[in-house]
Amino acid sequence: MLNFNPPIEEEKKYNDLKIVEVEPTIKINLRSNKREFSTKIGKILSILPPNEANTSSGNESYSLLWLSPDEWLVYSNNNTKSLNDQIELENNLFNEISKLNQGAVTNVSDHWVMINLKGSKIFDLLAKSCPFNFKNFKKKGSVVQTVVNHVDVIIHNKDDNDLNLFVRRSFSEDLWLWINDSARFL
Amino acid sequence: MFIINCPYCGERDQTEFSCGGEAHIERPKQPTELSDDQWAEYLFMRKNIKGIQFERWNHAHGCRKWFNMVRDTSNDKIQAVYKMGEKPPVK
Ligand SMILES: [Zn+2]
Repeated sequence: MLNFNPPIEEEKKYNDLKIVEVEPTIKINLRSNKREFSTKIGKILSILPPNEANTSSGNESYSLLWLSPDEWLVYSNNNTKSLNDQIELENNLFNEISKLNQGAVTNVSDHWVMINLKGSKIFDLLAKSCPFNFKNFKKKGSVVQTVVNHVDVIIHNKDDNDLNLFVRRSFSEDLWLWINDSARFL
Repeated sequence: MFIINCPYCGERDQTEFSCGGEAHIERPKQPTELSDDQWAEYLFMRKNIKGIQFERWNHAHGCRKWFNMVRDTSNDKIQAVYKMGEKPPVK
């Protein structure tokens, strides 16, 4: 089900920094090492899954993130999608991939919470408690899975100084509080 | 702290990884024919040497893939990193 009960529901503004939880967002995890998988995804989403590590592909409606050599995350780019859109997409993917033994399709809309960070200070903020070197991350479309303040996250570099950060729902409140706390010291 | 070059994601901090112990230990083909001593030898006994050691590592907070590493346990210098199923590039 599409997340109609978001855990944070807040929007905060600091100097050169804006953070907001973006819901509802459709998120679907894809796993496959089959050859036809790529063309099937291309047909359904009109985007090809990226093969290069730490990159993403996308169009107006969806972004497709590389997570590992046989795993991707697709999420909707605007929060105008309805529950029916999600059911339709999930069914499409399920019938073309899972049912035909071409891989696994898992709905993770309620598993991940998406937080959008905007502003020139976002990398300074994350660097306060993240072992990842963001120097090579400034390229548009870059993706990284790492830890921020000991919490597992997926970070997608959407645009210049515009990040989408995915955090597990049960950790989202903790990370949200940490982000707000750290933002005061930028 | 040291940097590990994940064969899938590239250079990352050690804190993203977890070590899975000695690599290239083959499971006995006929466990029922082993004595308890032999089974315990396979299950528990590890070389744990000071020097060049072959290990399994998991990129736990990244791509979650397993891979092998050749590491000098005396100074943490990583000699090689290679994927599961591949032959070690150094002796
Ligand atoms: Zn990795």
